[in-house]
Amino acid sequence: MTGVVARSVESIASALRQFFTAEHVAARDGFLQRRDPRVTLLAVGGLALAVMMTRTLAVTLLFGLVTVVLARLSAVPLRRLLARSAVVPLASAVIVLPQAVLLPGETLVSVFGFGVTDAGIAYVVLFTARVGVGVALLSLIVLTTPFSAVLAAMRRLRVPVALVWVFAVTYRYLFLFFNEMRRLVLARNSRTTGADGVREGWRDARRLSGTFLLRTLNRGERVGRGMRARGGARPPSPYGQQRAVDAGDYALAAVAVAALVISGVVRWGL
Amino acid sequence: MGTVIDARGLTHEYPDGTTALRNVDLTIEQGERVAVVGANGSGKSTLQLALGGLVDPTDGTVEYFGDTTDAEAVRDRLGVLLQDPEDYLFNPTVREDIEYGPAQLGMDRETATRRIERIASTLGLADLLDRPPFRLSGGEKQRAAVASVLAFAPDVLLLDEPFGAVDAYYRTRILDLITDHDGTLLFFTPSFDAVPAVAERVVVLGQGGSIVADGAVRDVLTDRALLTDNGLQPPVTVQLFEGLLDAEDVPLTVDEARRYLQERLD
Repeated sequence: MTGVVARSVESIASALRQFFTAEHVAARDGFLQRRDPRVTLLAVGGLALAVMMTRTLAVTLLFGLVTVVLARLSAVPLRRLLARSAVVPLASAVIVLPQAVLLPGETLVSVFGFGVTDAGIAYVVLFTARVGVGVALLSLIVLTTPFSAVLAAMRRLRVPVALVWVFAVTYRYLFLFFNEMRRLVLARNSRTTGADGVREGWRDARRLSGTFLLRTLNRGERVGRGMRARGGARPPSPYGQQRAVDAGDYALAAVAVAALVISGVVRWGL
Repeated sequence: MGTVIDARGLTHEYPDGTTALRNVDLTIEQGERVAVVGANGSGKSTLQLALGGLVDPTDGTVEYFGDTTDAEAVRDRLGVLLQDPEDYLFNPTVREDIEYGPAQLGMDRETATRRIERIASTLGLADLLDRPPFRLSGGEKQRAAVASVLAFAPDVLLLDEPFGAVDAYYRTRILDLITDHDGTLLFFTPSFDAVPAVAERVVVLGQGGSIVADGAVRDVLTDRALLTDNGLQPPVTVQLFEGLLDAEDVPLTVDEARRYLQERLD
């Protein structure tokens, strides 16, 4: 699995590992880093919900601006935020792209006999923007708050234990999954010449996918033991971070409430 | 004194039909320091997992502290270090990985922080605590895994090859932490390098996954026939002095050998 496919796998694995492990931003002194994690979780989560509720591009862009301001105040490099948030909206754009020709409306341009409509384009742009801003907001939580603090905040907010458990295990296993993928590619590349083309690369990728599945199952089982050996059979109970709720927390909460109200009013009216 | 672990008729067969353990009886008393040695594939890791309550044996029982057969009920008293450090590193930072055990097992944060700082400092991890685990070298990962088990101060340590890819300097530091451990120790290893320093009793596993010897360190380490029959080699000092000295006089460590030679030279 050398060549293009291997490089692609390695790039994706590397980017996703960065996504799950960019913790050092959380150690910086910034607006969101100084917040009580419960407030960050509720308020930024509320903003993301407001984005999901809206059906107006202007409101979505306004929330995008709020996201950028929060990132700047929290010493989060915009390039990193963009890199972390770009994959999901781009993938969703590909998925909803057919709507550009399926939705009825005024035809703007004809491609291979299919009419791209204004309503279709508007839908694709709005959908992609909403997903992008929503993911960027959720990324802000993970970037500015240590993972264990997010889990602890969920427990304090009385989120059902099963849900916290699923979240914790999913997050950790995704990280291990991509690590395992990278190791497999490295092991394969160390025993190949690197002269393979795309076709050979895909053929190898198909062969290795079975091995990858078995390895990830095996690793999952072993990591499960590593967790159980240290009390992992008990409900998640990380130490987290508890701070006194201050004016900044109230301000952030107020912004989130305002966002939810604005989004609701614009969509459904008073 | 009391019995810490009492395994009776422990047998474990993997789904592919491989029998890793066969009718193992093993009793560990409180404060005992026991090395479990065996060649590759002799079932050391499976025995460690079974004693640590991390695999259910096909047959037999393990009783803990003369009280329960449920390992989860005494999880905070059992410090199980698995062979591969990667199995312990699944959090975004090294600090969160080391804190995982103390937090899950109910240690108060202040005590945990003090212990973690001391252990991290001893193992050279203080500057690595905020790093993602995947950025660590093999030896650093091993040290982080050892720290993550010692952090919650278990009574009983079950350590499977705790030195891994660690260099000589940190091997000594880990050895110091193990020898300073004020409790029971089970040390699973394929070689005898550290055995005389950490153990007073040696259990030898044969290729069939059963115990073929159980005795004092000197008795086992100087029994060449027993060791070679089971795919093991005596320590290098024993190889050097066997035939030259009686078994009870053979130096088991390099330090003992040096002292012996120094006395002769003086």
